[in-house]
Amino acid sequence: MKNKFSPYVPRLATLKSKKKLSDYVTLFRFEQDNGRPLAHSPGQFIQVSIFGIGEAPFSITSPPIREHHYFEIAVRKIGSVTTALHNLKPGDKIGVRGPYGSSFPMQKFIGKDMLFIAGGLGFIPLRSVLNYMIRHRDEYGKIMLLVGTRNPKERIFIDQLEEMSKREDIKVLETVDVPDETWKGNVGVITTLLPKITIEPENTYVAMVGPPIMYKFVIAECKKMGISEDKIFVSLERRMKCGLGKCGHCQINGLSCCVDGPVFCYTDIASLEEAI
Amino acid sequence: MSAHVVYLEQLPSLFEKWKEKFKLFVPQKKGDYYLLQEYERGQEICFDYDVIYNPIKSFLFPSYETLLDFDLKTYASKPVVDAEPQILFGIHPYDIKAINQLDQLMEMGSVDVNYRARRDKTVIMGLEPLRVAKTAFWSFMDAEKVDFGFDLFWTKIGPSAFVVEVGSVLGEELLFVNGKVDVATAAEKEVARRKHQEIVKKAKMQNVLKFPNTDIPKVMAKSFNSYVWIEKSRKCLSCGSCNFICPTCYCFDIQDEVDDLLKKGKRYRTWDGCMLRSFASIAGGHNFRKQVFERYRHRYMRKGRYIYDLLGELGCVGCGRCIQSCPARIANPLEIFNFLWEDVSYEK
Ligand SMILES: Cc1cc2nc3c(=O)[nH]c(=O)nc-3n(C[C@H](O)[C@H](O)[C@H](O)COP(=O)(O)OP(=O)(O)OC[C@H]3O[C@@H](n4cnc5c(N)ncnc54)[C@H](O)[C@@H]3O)c2cc1C
Ligand code: SF4
Ligand code: SF4
Ligand code: FES
Repeated sequence: MKNKFSPYVPRLATLKSKKKLSDYVTLFRFEQDNGRPLAHSPGQFIQVSIFGIGEAPFSITSPPIREHHYFEIAVRKIGSVTTALHNLKPGDKIGVRGPYGSSFPMQKFIGKDMLFIAGGLGFIPLRSVLNYMIRHRDEYGKIMLLVGTRNPKERIFIDQLEEMSKREDIKVLETVDVPDETWKGNVGVITTLLPKITIEPENTYVAMVGPPIMYKFVIAECKKMGISEDKIFVSLERRMKCGLGKCGHCQINGLSCCVDGPVFCYTDIASLEEAI
Repeated sequence: MSAHVVYLEQLPSLFEKWKEKFKLFVPQKKGDYYLLQEYERGQEICFDYDVIYNPIKSFLFPSYETLLDFDLKTYASKPVVDAEPQILFGIHPYDIKAINQLDQLMEMGSVDVNYRARRDKTVIMGLEPLRVAKTAFWSFMDAEKVDFGFDLFWTKIGPSAFVVEVGSVLGEELLFVNGKVDVATAAEKEVARRKHQEIVKKAKMQNVLKFPNTDIPKVMAKSFNSYVWIEKSRKCLSCGSCNFICPTCYCFDIQDEVDDLLKKGKRYRTWDGCMLRSFASIAGGHNFRKQVFERYRHRYMRKGRYIYDLLGELGCVGCGRCIQSCPARIANPLEIFNFLWEDVSYEK
């Protein structure tokens, strides 16, 4: 029996469609060949295989919806696996392991106000939570989304952002670090958006994902606004290979980001020197 | 379990019998080193080695191992789980402790099927050390004796006799393959016990840990920002030798390889090490342990604290291999533990 099973054997999935989100980021929609949904929770990731090139971890950006047999990832072209992914055509196969890791605590969020803080590609995993909530909009309180991008060219999911900003029941604020001539919106790092919103700290949960340097500053600002540590959830990126808590690459002090994370409650990592 | 007596002259025929069903590895002297290598008929076995140079983990978790075969056309893949029956003969207690630790780590959460398959086919025959390596400090790391993790445990009680403690049913079967052997008398067992005490006493006379090892995790917890990390790591070459040679280190990398015709390929894993520069670096250039001292610190934190938090035992068994293998002479856990303890106690 042990010879038959190995957690390293990926399941097959087929590329259904591709959509360019920015110069370097593409949205991919896959379906598993076994016909089943991924059955993930928002915040989890999968290990994607391109045989002969390798494996790389990607957040699942689609929400878990029972009737949807597809899943989506949004990938920045930056190295070997990500380039190979960009070269795929509809009908091509990939391997999938997972979903792996912890997820955002959806039950805790019910009935609460939500503050999403997305830096750059951090919007990708948060979109899974957000779109799930939009689908069940009446189950949640206020929804606020802050998005920070380096420059207007790197913005992703622009259509969705524009659609959401038209809605009464979602507040969207965007900023870019470095504007260009086309940009009419806010300029500055993401922390400059926080003073522009009003929250009820006791009733608000924060979900934030962004580049490593973002967390320290944004968490400090959130605390200043009166949000307690146990209401702040972050997703951390690390180098990953196995996704099984074995290979060691993703360690954060004594934790394995791939099994203990990637989503952490800030309370659980506040004392870890290597986390933030 | 029971203990028996085996005489030196009985060994060759036992070995021959075992070799019918197992690959048999025994300690041998090779130049300046001792290695655990396959037994050939008539081979001399080194019962008085101080430490085996090759870390025992390599027999359970080889430095290169295929995980999958895949077909680039059909995208089909199948697991590769290779395991041959093997006997590791002559393993010192600290190395058995290291295996016991790997057993737990590989079992936690997701079971490592490749490791497990090999481990299930591996017979461990322990051996009471007769000499202590110059760099060893196992007697201070709760690693001078193991209560489990062996099928048989051998203690040389004279020029040509061993007391053999049985640790498993399979161990007993192997001991009796050529017929039953004598039960050890109380006196013989007493000699074995004294041999153990003698070697532990000898080990305790060198490379002294100046405080109880149970305090190591506490000392490490207070030492994250110690200047010792920067001070000591200045000479580090980030070569990873201290990782590769360590019997309790088990980090790995996974990569793909494709045949010349681009038709088939395999996914394999190789040993990796947290001391290597790019171990925690990600695409785009960010490195979560960019500085040498951060990597240097992480290794000791694993050994002295993080593994303890996971398993309730230290991640270093005191074999001293890393001390010997470090080209910069800075990979000494004992020295670091003692130093930090003094530092932390002084601060109080
Ligand atoms: C939990 C998690 C979720 C992620 N989600 C996304 C996402 O939704 N979209 C996206 O574009 N990127 C995401 N990333 C980053 C993405 O995994 C890397 O960009 C990708 O691994 C680069 O692979 P490569 O082969 O193209 O690059 P190369 O530089 O060629 O990398 C070689 C190998 O190193 C490892 N590696 C390199 N960078 C990373 C990294 N950042 N994280 C983990 N392993 C790495 C991988 O095993 C990779 O195959 C995520 C990373 C993690 C850890
Ligand atoms: S850290 Fe060094 S002394 Fe400790 S078990 Fe590893 S190799 Fe042996
Ligand atoms: S063996 Fe020595 S030089 Fe090499 S990585 Fe370890 S501490 Fe650094
Ligand atoms: S990715 Fe291997 S331990 Fe986390």
